[in-house]
Amino acid sequence: MYKYNKLWVYLFIVPTLLVFVTFYFVPIITVFTTGFTEWNGFNPPKLVGFDNYKMIFTDDNSLTVSLINLFKWSMIATFIHVPFGALVAFIIFKRPVGWRFVRGVFMIPNVIAVSAWAIIYRFIFNDQMGLLNNFIRKLGFSNFHTNWFFDMKYAFSAISFTWVFYAVIVTLLVLSDLMAIPKELHEAAKIDGATEAQIHWRINLPLIRGSLGTSVILSIIARITMFEAIFLTTKGGPGNSTYNISVMLYDGIINYQFGYANAVATIMIILGIGVLIITTKVFRMNKSVYN
Amino acid sequence: MKADFLKRGVTQIVSYLVLLFTVCISIVPLLWIVVSSFKSNKAILNKPFALPTEINFHAYYSVLKMNNFLSNTFNSVLISVTSTLVALLFYALAAYSFAKFDFAGKRVLFILFSVTLLIPGHATAQPIFSFINLTGLYDTRLALIVVYISAGLAVSLLILRASFLSIPRELDEAAYMESASFWQVFFYINLPLAKAGLSTAGILMFLGNWNEFFYGFMLTSSAQNRTLPVALQFFTEQFSYNYTQLFAALTLVTLPSIILYMLAQEQVQQSVVSGGVKG
Repeated sequence: MYKYNKLWVYLFIVPTLLVFVTFYFVPIITVFTTGFTEWNGFNPPKLVGFDNYKMIFTDDNSLTVSLINLFKWSMIATFIHVPFGALVAFIIFKRPVGWRFVRGVFMIPNVIAVSAWAIIYRFIFNDQMGLLNNFIRKLGFSNFHTNWFFDMKYAFSAISFTWVFYAVIVTLLVLSDLMAIPKELHEAAKIDGATEAQIHWRINLPLIRGSLGTSVILSIIARITMFEAIFLTTKGGPGNSTYNISVMLYDGIINYQFGYANAVATIMIILGIGVLIITTKVFRMNKSVYN
Repeated sequence: MKADFLKRGVTQIVSYLVLLFTVCISIVPLLWIVVSSFKSNKAILNKPFALPTEINFHAYYSVLKMNNFLSNTFNSVLISVTSTLVALLFYALAAYSFAKFDFAGKRVLFILFSVTLLIPGHATAQPIFSFINLTGLYDTRLALIVVYISAGLAVSLLILRASFLSIPRELDEAAYMESASFWQVFFYINLPLAKAGLSTAGILMFLGNWNEFFYGFMLTSSAQNRTLPVALQFFTEQFSYNYTQLFAALTLVTLPSIILYMLAQEQVQQSVVSGGVKG
């Protein structure tokens, strides 16, 4: 046995503990407790029970719209975003010509600032100079004019488009799961006369359910916290058709309605945990895959 | 047999179409911005698909000459680099203790730290906003450095702990035999061997900090204290109809991330996966 001073072990934890207490522990306690108070940051918080929550649920339809939008975006995440990312992974797994290039390029939108990406999309969807409308006009619809982000009918789809196909995290997660499947499984299946499709549906898909589940969780939580893409394009409008809970929280803070904002934040945290529990159940993620 | 051949052919074509689509949506928007930054405003408006007639860097020159662009760039560099390095040191210290020693409260602390992963992004924004106001750090670069240090806590800790766990204990023991101190064993033996984990966590945190918008926007008010992603939002208003300059600014803001990514592709991809898996 070697000797060392145990004090060092604790000393090494201290900086992280300090960060944890300042930026996670105290804030979380503050969020949970002040959600029940009326507080503007200047006067001491005044206990008001469930008033903030009542206000959130009944005052205007912001929360309802936010929740409906979250639900729609969750469906888009589960049935388009994640399957698309997984599809790309399945294709890349076969190592077609240029697979490394595709994997590399797919990552680029993910490494640049979301704010820059949102601003770029503001121009792509711009009616006069934008790529999309000019492309449509080039196709022969020379009178086509739509302001995607400012049109009640299209704003939601336009916002969705800024993320729905950018599923590189899904691709990378699924890809590493696919590569971890023992080769013998595929060989045994082939010897038993299984077709390519059968191998995909019966072997690969069940075995990658962990990464699919993780992807769904990550993607839906990203929808709960989605801020820049909305704030820098539609600001939640037109009307409040693209509003979400993150923008709601931000509005609460800048209006110095801290109690209200923290009630919103509490709902946000509960939603996050809810998504985690439900998805884990649906994808049976806590069950080992190789049994 | 013929049907089989046909089916395989169709699968191939569809596969390549999907890949082509993936590549297009990933780089066409960016290429369009870069190409347009060399065109005149009029050409951007009238011929959106045309290539520039000449390559000149006028727009870039005027963006760089603009009042705050260089100070915004300096802020971004200073804030991202400092916060990443400090965070890396903090979390490496903790991860080392968690990986190699037993101590009272270890399990509880580790679970508490890891659980921070479950807190959605901006849920703690108000307390953090108030904390920064209370400490008088509002509208300073230090505020962002301090906030960004806290950003990658759980993910970095998990990556780094795994790194330190893979370093054999025999090495440490041999060093203690040679009467090395605790700090020396950490700094001269473990830290260099955890290089892969350090760069993975470091790149992930740096990209996050470099691209951060929400806190950068909320915690600064004066133009010279802004970071690049935040400044970009104000440029769009300031330039209003000078698209050439705006596109040049967009290019300048996104370029560093792309260069860093190209230099460390494998590492970035790996860091995204290890950041994602644990979420």
